[in-house]
Amino acid sequence: MNRFEMLQKEADTLPGVGVEHDAQGRLLFTAVPQAVPELAVWLNERAFEFATLVVEETAPGFHLVHYFFYARESGERITIEAHVGPGVGLPTISDRVHAADWHERETEDLFGVCFTGHPFLGDFVLHDEDWPENIWPMRHDFDPRASHPRGRGLDEDWRPRRLLEEQGALEFPVGPIWGDYGESGLCLLETPGEQIRLAHMRLFYKYRGIEKIAEGEPPDKALLLAERFSGNAAFAHALAFCQAIESIAGVKISERSRRLRVVCAELERMRYHMTVIADLAGSTGLAVGKAMGQELEEELLRLTETTMGHRYLFGLAVPGGLARDLPDAAITRLRTEIPSLMPRIQRFGRWLKVSSSFLDRIEEMGVLSTDDAKLYGVVGPVGRAAGREADLRRGLPYAAYDQFPPDIMVEQEGDGYARLRVFLREIEQSARLILAALGHLPSETVRTDCMAVDGNALGWVEAPAGAAFHWLKLDGDGCITRWRAGTPGFRNWHAFHRTVEGAAFQDFPIILASFGLSVAENDR
Amino acid sequence: MYVAAFIALGIATLLAFIPYPRVRAWLVGTCFVVVSGFVAAAGLMALLGHSWGSTAGPLALLEWLSFGLDPFRGFFLIVTAVVFATAIPLVVHDVMTYTRRRAGAFLTLIALLYAAMLAFFAATSVVSFVFAWEIAALAIWALVTFDYRLKGPVAAGYLTLALSEVGTLAGMAGLFLLAAWSGSLQLHVLGKMGASLSAAPLWAPFLLTFFGFGVKAGIIPVNAWLPEAHGSAPRSVSPILSGATLNLGVFALWIIDGPIATSHPRMALLVLVVGAATALTGIIYALTEHDLKRLLAQSSIENLGIVVAALGAGFAFVALGHPLLGGIALVAGLYHMVNHSVYKTALFLGAGAIDRATGTHDLDRLGGLMHRMPLLATVFLLAALAIAALPPFGGFVSEWLLLESLLRVVQVAAVPVRVTFALSGAMLALTAGLALTCFVMVAGTALLGPARSREAREAGRGVRSASWPMLVLVVLSFGLGVLATGFIPLLGGLVKPLAGADPSAILVPTFFGTGAGLPAGLVGALDTIGAGVGRGLLPLRGLVVLHSGGMATPVVFAMSMGLAALVIGLLLALVWVLVHFGTRRRKVVWRRAWNGGLRVLRPEMNYTATGFAAPVRVLFDTLLRPTVNERDSRQGAFTTGVVYRMQMVNVSNRIFLWPVRHAAEAIAHRLARLHHGTVTLYAAWILAVLLAALVAVKLSL
Amino acid sequence: MANWVLHSLKRGIRTERYRESEPLPAGTTPGRPKPQRMDESAAAALAECCPTGALQVQSPGIRVDFGRCIHCQRCRGDEGLEWRQDATWATHLEGAQESLGGSFRRALHVRYLDAGACGGCMGEARLIDAPQYNLHRYGIFITSTPRDADLLLVAGPVTEALRRPLLDAYEAMPEPKRVVAMGVCAINGGVFGKSFASCGGAAEVVPVDIVIPGCPPPPRAIIEGLLLAVGRSRSAQAVEAP
Ligand code: SF4
Ligand code: SF4
Repeated sequence: MNRFEMLQKEADTLPGVGVEHDAQGRLLFTAVPQAVPELAVWLNERAFEFATLVVEETAPGFHLVHYFFYARESGERITIEAHVGPGVGLPTISDRVHAADWHERETEDLFGVCFTGHPFLGDFVLHDEDWPENIWPMRHDFDPRASHPRGRGLDEDWRPRRLLEEQGALEFPVGPIWGDYGESGLCLLETPGEQIRLAHMRLFYKYRGIEKIAEGEPPDKALLLAERFSGNAAFAHALAFCQAIESIAGVKISERSRRLRVVCAELERMRYHMTVIADLAGSTGLAVGKAMGQELEEELLRLTETTMGHRYLFGLAVPGGLARDLPDAAITRLRTEIPSLMPRIQRFGRWLKVSSSFLDRIEEMGVLSTDDAKLYGVVGPVGRAAGREADLRRGLPYAAYDQFPPDIMVEQEGDGYARLRVFLREIEQSARLILAALGHLPSETVRTDCMAVDGNALGWVEAPAGAAFHWLKLDGDGCITRWRAGTPGFRNWHAFHRTVEGAAFQDFPIILASFGLSVAENDR
Repeated sequence: MYVAAFIALGIATLLAFIPYPRVRAWLVGTCFVVVSGFVAAAGLMALLGHSWGSTAGPLALLEWLSFGLDPFRGFFLIVTAVVFATAIPLVVHDVMTYTRRRAGAFLTLIALLYAAMLAFFAATSVVSFVFAWEIAALAIWALVTFDYRLKGPVAAGYLTLALSEVGTLAGMAGLFLLAAWSGSLQLHVLGKMGASLSAAPLWAPFLLTFFGFGVKAGIIPVNAWLPEAHGSAPRSVSPILSGATLNLGVFALWIIDGPIATSHPRMALLVLVVGAATALTGIIYALTEHDLKRLLAQSSIENLGIVVAALGAGFAFVALGHPLLGGIALVAGLYHMVNHSVYKTALFLGAGAIDRATGTHDLDRLGGLMHRMPLLATVFLLAALAIAALPPFGGFVSEWLLLESLLRVVQVAAVPVRVTFALSGAMLALTAGLALTCFVMVAGTALLGPARSREAREAGRGVRSASWPMLVLVVLSFGLGVLATGFIPLLGGLVKPLAGADPSAILVPTFFGTGAGLPAGLVGALDTIGAGVGRGLLPLRGLVVLHSGGMATPVVFAMSMGLAALVIGLLLALVWVLVHFGTRRRKVVWRRAWNGGLRVLRPEMNYTATGFAAPVRVLFDTLLRPTVNERDSRQGAFTTGVVYRMQMVNVSNRIFLWPVRHAAEAIAHRLARLHHGTVTLYAAWILAVLLAALVAVKLSL
Repeated sequence: MANWVLHSLKRGIRTERYRESEPLPAGTTPGRPKPQRMDESAAAALAECCPTGALQVQSPGIRVDFGRCIHCQRCRGDEGLEWRQDATWATHLEGAQESLGGSFRRALHVRYLDAGACGGCMGEARLIDAPQYNLHRYGIFITSTPRDADLLLVAGPVTEALRRPLLDAYEAMPEPKRVVAMGVCAINGGVFGKSFASCGGAAEVVPVDIVIPGCPPPPRAIIEGLLLAVGRSRSAQAVEAP
């Protein structure tokens, strides 16, 4: 009896839970709302990671809530499903499975599904000053293109959340508009001066409602949104989106396109990581380091443009493979350029690693403990720098990663320096993967016909910033009825506050830069 | 005059019980101002040389209970008179809200304090000195605990009383030792003793009197009572407590320890170091305070520390055979004391008025008062500039004089002395820097920015009974700054008896008036730095210099407050002109401040005093040694609240009060049977012991 | 300690010379479709495949509305349109205020404002002061407060939550001031359009003077746009006919 069957057997004994295998080879637990928290904790204890939370409205006021879990190493997937009717709440799971915290808050804001026992509901995606209560934009009766009543607007009574009680403590706002190029978003630092005691992120200033406006659209339209809601990881999200569609359609794509997808994704990762490193150098005032980083970043962008046709890889991923094949010239160029770029990147990394003034500011700074990383389910390089061996390319391989498995770059310290090392090593790793995947490319079509209708599926990628899960449900015409983009940004912003708490003011921008987070990816 | 002051005080006491608050306020207020007039007149007469001793005069109640005035005592009387005269309007205004009996009692206590101080500054014998001191101490205690229904003041009162009584006892013991050795109860005879005895036996009375009477001057480590007392005293008394009564300690130091320390350099150096350490710890603790009154009290400690350090430096120079340098430092010390009395009275008046208008003196809850009470806030700001020792106010002159005189230690050969001076100088320089930070913080958080609480938002207008006297004081402080060249010779005369030389001649040399006897090039050079500012127009010259080394290279350092004031004035005018004419042709558009796109900039998003001082707190962590108590409330993985409390025990408590208290508790444990009385009983005990001791000493003579 | 100064000196000047007459270094710009003459049916098919309506049939061929083209590349390829590798894309809008002249030509202070931009526009805007482009040589500086800014560079479709901050920032700027909208999103909402969460472009909130089409416009195009705002570059056409 394998582990899965054992689990199934064990779960059968839990009260209020029904167990079945679904079509996509995962375990499906159907639970009454009251049984969900116990079940979620039970899964968590068995090394199942919380992946994402998806809610769909089955009928006006009735919702079906999916909790996706997966095993980090073996890749098994388990889903919990619970039905909730109008006016009924679900018990929260996030006081114990904390990674679900923001998911629940978002769901409450957008669907009006209440999570009983959650201490901080409201004023999350829809800010109080902009939106009246009792508007749930993700419900089907909400028309995204119509005009809607607006909130209270400028309100003297509005108060930010305050948890700190200390003499003279103030709530220092950073944002929502930042100096320089920071992405819009408000960070409230509770502090008695100098030291940050608590930090609250108030994001979603950039909420564009892509999941709502995609509803009713055909996938090729929605794909534009998937690419463009977070342009610096455009290919990754487009890929996850396409994989969900391919999975609904049951299409197997060609070997060449699977390998080229690896090439594109890794090239994007290289550039993404380079951006993070350049910004990290900039945040510590290392101007030359920043300039060198940006120079390399620009060269990677140009390499991307000359080989793939767009600096940010827009318009490349399509359901069924890739929109265009890479011409031979491009492949040759990649084969020569990457090996010539890598020594320069490595040299740059070495210089950074021996700059004591730079290291002083990132070492032991912004430490994310392994426990916190686990509690918040932190993903991607940030999680790996805090000792979490999580990488979907290994755990749940897609594209051609089963043939080209990456090494997982893990560091234990969880500080800014550990993150820098992970970013640097992942760039090297990506270069290696690109060259390997380009090694023996079969010549065949890169675009398989892919017509998906009526079904739902989860697509996932290891985006540059970490695990991304896109859940799609299509109607009979192949148009989208529900799309849920679970992004690494959403995951990691949630945990970010833990690393600045206890830090000094002047370290805040450095810690932020070392996380390499995207607000756009969080806000969607 | 002097006697008339007492009579007028008596009348004021009677008037204090008039049942009609408004009438009472006016009458008592007027009466006190008249008293101050008398006192000032008496002081002025004494200052101008009409001294008198009372052994034969009408005040010689008993042979050993004698009083007298000389220029030095007259000087203290004038300072006291100024403080009382300017502080009294707020007092009489504020007691209008009291019941008749309470108001009467309150005003009587103030009159009593006033009288005790007058008597003290005129006391020429040990007995009158100690009696007046003791009555002043009791009056202070009674005033501090006047709000006896509140727990804070009562505790503060006990602490004040306990420390001051212990101090008195110690000081008394020292005095009587000296008296026994010298065979006289006259203070000036005791002083002479110091010079004639060798150091070893003198250490005991010196230490006893220095730290015993130093309690009133707030020197470390016996100053724990001061922030408590001044912080919790009724808001109208604090200006008097801080502006006037602290000078009692300075007076005692000068009269009793001065003659001793001017003969024994080590003692003088101890005074210097204690003073500097007091100043530094005072300002550091001031920076950790968020309560305006306590902060001002800590700053009083700092200022008195500077005064004590200056006296210490002066004593040391004199003891080492540099009477002129000693004179300069002593001038600086007295100068600083006056300055402190002036601006601290003003600031405490401001704090009292703010408290009256808002009901709070917590800086973290104030803010934006510039809009609510423009006049009061403006004078408060000016007083803050003065206390931060910025030109053109008096504080700058005295601190500058002190630091420059400390640098003159290069003329002393002994290395240990140089090191001590250098360290003290460094501490004082740091103090000056921190004081600036501190009062930027005070002015910034109380007056500027948005209101941080409802109280501050709904603050009433400032009361005139505080703002006008404050204006007077600020003008005075300004005068003390720009008219330094007129003031210094006055102080020079005062320090001469102790220092043995009058430094005015080298600080404000007469030759600048005429330029006679100087090389022409030098006169020109001095004129460019302001020597000539006001020449021919003002009776006083604009320049303060320290010159030495003969006619060829006479100038060691120089400063012109007249020029500084002029430059500052011109710069301000220039800014005004530029803004006025520069923007005349352009349209001035008023827009909301850019706040980073926030919808509402909440009051709680503004910097607080605590926040402002956080870097300093972190810097001095080892000294402050805060104990931290953090309590999180959690709900599963959620943090739903954090309570963070930081407690600090004042360093003087740690090194002095607590050990003493523990020892005392141990003793008290054994003497438990005696421990039944009330505090008043203890006070009576102390008085009885005092009397017994006096009689004993008298008999032994 | 790595000697950064030495490293940078050794590497020499990395800034690229820019002349409009010379071709741009490869990869600097994604390029954009070129309006072409073609027969009606081919044009119609192309217009059909364009998801944003940027391609419009205009006999005798197809015209391109650059303000809508999001570089999805669906019209590119063998049977599609030819692409032009240029970057002078910025367009001075009709009826807008004229360029800032005078001393602004050599000293322009720009406030970049993220009004919901995705990483694309963010990344490209960041790179305008990368060594290759070196913004400062033109006397253009990025400031952190609109109080010092002469020009507001807006990216993103302007989300509802950022409508007010955008307006506040604009109002906080001293006169004279100009607004440049970069990226299709800031021009008309781009793929996000106008919805409950997005205002559909900066012009809905503040008066826009110059637009820089592109999704995202590459750094070179952004710089051209900034130069256009001070009258140092020429304005491209918003819509080009075959
Ligand atoms: S690249 Fe531009 S013009 Fe071509 S199809 Fe896409 S949006 Fe339309
Ligand atoms: S124009 Fe394109 S690149 Fe720019 S923000 Fe919009 S989607 Fe992103």
